[in-house]
Amino acid sequence: MKHSFCWSAFFILERRMETLKVNGNETEFPDGLPGTIAQLLKHLNIDEATVVAELEGKIISRDDFANTPLVDGQSIELIRFVGGG
Amino acid sequence: MDKLVIANREFDSRLLVGTGKFPSCESMAQALESSGSEIVTVALRRVDINNKNDDMLSAIDFNKYLLLPNTSGARDADEAVRLSKLARAATGINWVKLEVTPDPYYLLPDPIETLKAAEILVKDGFIVLPYINADPILAKRLEDVGTATVMPLASPIGSNQGIKTKAAIEIIIEQANVPVVVDAGLGLPSHAADAMEMGADAVLVNTAIATADDPSKMAEAFKLAVQAGRMAYTSGFSASSKKASASSPLTGFLRDE
Repeated sequence: MKHSFCWSAFFILERRMETLKVNGNETEFPDGLPGTIAQLLKHLNIDEATVVAELEGKIISRDDFANTPLVDGQSIELIRFVGGG
Repeated sequence: MDKLVIANREFDSRLLVGTGKFPSCESMAQALESSGSEIVTVALRRVDINNKNDDMLSAIDFNKYLLLPNTSGARDADEAVRLSKLARAATGINWVKLEVTPDPYYLLPDPIETLKAAEILVKDGFIVLPYINADPILAKRLEDVGTATVMPLASPIGSNQGIKTKAAIEIIIEQANVPVVVDAGLGLPSHAADAMEMGADAVLVNTAIATADDPSKMAEAFKLAVQAGRMAYTSGFSASSKKASASSPLTGFLRDE
């Protein structure tokens, strides 16, 4: 009993894909989590020059996109300017 | 025309233009050009992951216009401060049009949260232009905490109703030591001219320009109206009266009395 429980837990861990909460949506990354914010933007095909990012509630300066690592389960907001009055 | 000075920065134009609701980036860029404006407002929103080609900033020439991010969507002071900081991180610009509008129907600004946010933002080094209801006491309180302007509303945002708050805006103008920018609800150039004749330092227009059939033409019409209104105000026009005052001499008539 104990033995099989261990195996099933292992199986679940193996199968669970790494995720990020991007703009409120749980997003799975079948090919593995992007290593940095810059890589995430590249993955999503978003021009980083137009974006401001907030990782776990903390604003990340654009200069730090390439050296800010992402960890499974984190929440990130990607924000940009739109027309407004 | 005499210059508009906000936070020690000089502007030739007294017309601020919002960038929402334009049918396309091209029509927005044309209208901004025709308006002669030097300050344009923008909003901050989440990137639409499914539609990434919605980058409208590429149509705005940063050398020509001061970008004034707004905090639209903020329902309280905390959200407004968060948006202001994100905007500053995005642009390096510390100017912000502070708006806190928890009411989705009339989009009327929350005076208490606006004052609270203004205080925090001024202390944090922001140049704060708060959008407020036409409340002279609130305008004074905001000026006291160090806002760069006050921006009383003429009527609800996007309503095109013109100046429904005239008496209160007149008091604000009379008492203010910072520029008064009449914002929201100006639907026609004549409304803008009216505000300028009342002595407003500037006006902000978005919907009336962006939703006209020809935004560029309407932008120019607003430009001219703002110039005309300001010229009239600075000309020192005379007071109105109930009775007539003849423009032609009342002597030398061609008749025998």
